[in-house]
Amino acid sequence: MSQRLFTPLGAILALVIIAAFLMPSPAAGQTVKSGTNALNVAPAPSAEAKPWVVGKTPDGQPDLQGYWSNNTITPLQRPNGVTKAFYTKEEFLEAATKQAERDGEEATPGTVEDVHYDHTQFGLDRTQATLTPDLRTSMIIDPENGKLPPMTPEGQKRAADRAAEKRKQGAQYDQAQNLSTTTRCIYMNAGPPMLPVAYNHTYQIVQSPGYVMILIEELHEVRIIPLDRRPHAPQNVRSWLGDSRGHWEGNTLVIETTNFNDKVAFQGSSQDVKVTERLTRTGDETIHYEFTVEDPHTWTQPWKAEMPFIKATGPIFEHACNEGNYSMSNMLAGARREEKRAAEAAAKKGNQ
Amino acid sequence: MQNRYRNMIARFAGMGVLIAVILTPAPYHAQTQAQPAQPYRAPRTKDGKPDLNGIWQAVNSANWNIEGHGAAPGPFWQLGAEFSVPPGLGIVEGGPIPYKPEALEKKKENFADRMNRDPEIKCYLPGVPRAMYMPYPFQIIMSPQYIMMAFEYAGALRTVYMNHQDAPADSWMGWSNGHWEGETLVVDTTDFNDLSWFDRSGNFHSDALHVVERLTAVDKDHLNYEATIDDPKIFTRPWKISMPLYRIVEQNAQIIEYKCVEFSEDVLYGKLRKVPIK
Amino acid sequence: MRRKLVVTVLGAGLLLAALPLRAHHAFSAEFDINKPLTLKGTLAKWEMINPHSWFHIDVTGPDGKVTEWMIEGGSPNALIRLGVTKNTVKIGTELTIEAYQAKEGTNKAVGRDFTLPDGSRLFLGGSAPGQPAEK
Repeated sequence: MSQRLFTPLGAILALVIIAAFLMPSPAAGQTVKSGTNALNVAPAPSAEAKPWVVGKTPDGQPDLQGYWSNNTITPLQRPNGVTKAFYTKEEFLEAATKQAERDGEEATPGTVEDVHYDHTQFGLDRTQATLTPDLRTSMIIDPENGKLPPMTPEGQKRAADRAAEKRKQGAQYDQAQNLSTTTRCIYMNAGPPMLPVAYNHTYQIVQSPGYVMILIEELHEVRIIPLDRRPHAPQNVRSWLGDSRGHWEGNTLVIETTNFNDKVAFQGSSQDVKVTERLTRTGDETIHYEFTVEDPHTWTQPWKAEMPFIKATGPIFEHACNEGNYSMSNMLAGARREEKRAAEAAAKKGNQ
Repeated sequence: MQNRYRNMIARFAGMGVLIAVILTPAPYHAQTQAQPAQPYRAPRTKDGKPDLNGIWQAVNSANWNIEGHGAAPGPFWQLGAEFSVPPGLGIVEGGPIPYKPEALEKKKENFADRMNRDPEIKCYLPGVPRAMYMPYPFQIIMSPQYIMMAFEYAGALRTVYMNHQDAPADSWMGWSNGHWEGETLVVDTTDFNDLSWFDRSGNFHSDALHVVERLTAVDKDHLNYEATIDDPKIFTRPWKISMPLYRIVEQNAQIIEYKCVEFSEDVLYGKLRKVPIK
Repeated sequence: MRRKLVVTVLGAGLLLAALPLRAHHAFSAEFDINKPLTLKGTLAKWEMINPHSWFHIDVTGPDGKVTEWMIEGGSPNALIRLGVTKNTVKIGTELTIEAYQAKEGTNKAVGRDFTLPDGSRLFLGGSAPGQPAEK
């Protein structure tokens, strides 16, 4: 087995990147070769506020088109023990570099972690793709403590009821329906809100008169958002991604989504949750993304979060998940085989 | 002298014809003619292309069988007439699909075993051209570099690259590059896997499939759709399908999420349950 | 070399990347931790599919008999953005794969590491960093 040379190389590269990031604009945005688990952080917005004018689509909409990524190390909620809203650049880079080193480390053979393909080999580690330059300690900005607001009694009861229902289903590998919607290729947290996923965190925006289309890579989800101020679909028309309606407020695309089904349960929400997103192109390579989640049946107040999207390269290759889901059959067949062997072993014992 | 007279007469005659044409009102019966006098010129998008934006749907029974077929019972007698097979004239031009002999045998096997083999039952992506005539709407969203076709069924999506890109790998919906020929959008699709079917009747292809489609607006609410199917591993020659695509004109029409994986899980995995489905 | 999945909590209260690297279906439910193996064979086909790609490998046993194995790898989507295509890894390429066999008992496994004959890693993250197997 070849010896790893990563650690010293990684440290050197990390230092180079830290230096670049700390330099005043426009030097930030060191590019390093992907796959070395060394860091690539998108440039932070320029210190001097140079007025930037958003381009327009042929039909006059502010232009949000292109490939975008929301790859980040910022968590949704502020970690325990952290009270400030922003890390310093140095703290961020130290944390990101450590993440990169961690991504590059070996798992020990014979451990549960080791029973997996290596994400690094396929370019799927978070630190192998450009990270957004987000210094926030949490995506949540309201409440001010960076955490979800308290749940209402109704929300808590619903969570308990859902957990009880789940327990009734039986053991995890008894049937496909007992596994997560991600494993089943039914729903992979497309949202809205469009929170980052571990990899394949690529989005494509295409605009035509009266519509904005967002293609979400994971599960190849298509959001088509009409801009003509039509009402939402009738109450009984519910879905995993909800029903979105958009309009422009100046250069900001505002998308309101309702009509979720009762299985999405985003962060424990009810089916009547309303998500409002605001997308604003802030530069050639950045979109500012902000969202508000309102559900009086679940939380004592609405809550708000924000994160950047950065320009990414395409293409988005077909994510035909259900079609390629050998894993599901393998897992269920494996569980059945183990049960059979356990039953045979018990029978043998009984016969002795 | 004679030439000059001839020229003058010719010129007067020509003008006469011209005047006659201008002064003659367009006879109303001309509107019922099969062919308009001039091809329809669709309104243009802001970047100057024929505007094919909108929600469209095929109205035929091609998803049951792209060849002409009479009405037939459905696969489950318990469902009676409700899920029987409707008749259709078919969308294949010029005779039966030209299968090679061994491929025709496979098509017949597919048909006989279609309840196990039809990928639609498993909520698998429909492939091309099947996605275009499934009985659900789809939306064309045009931008200069990308023309997207978003299908209601299973959330399928086709990306037509107008800036030409090579396919990286095989896929269910293939890889499409597009260009304009006058009023017609020409979509050239390759790099299919061999797993999709053309319909519910077992018509199939290999991974050598190559589809060239032509979409042309013929009036404000109709497109003419043609596709040439070429697969030298399966067919003796290329063959063609054609059909109209109808604009969905309801106010506030939209594609609605139609995720069907949940509905197919017991078909896919029922036999592997702890308490197996029989 | 197999990389760790998990992210550690750092000192000074800096919790890093609280977003887990995907809530994976437990791979250890699909593959047997007690059945590690090393397979050496030639590539018959790389199914560049999601959610995980699959390598079909022809393995010649000591008796000369060839068996086909199906080995799970990662989604190809990031590699595709780096320029990898279905022509990058040629059919017939020799691969050495450290793997764990599937619990369902047939010739299926997950590849914890794919290595080329010269000792370098397939695709990314080896000591010769960043180079795809073939240009």
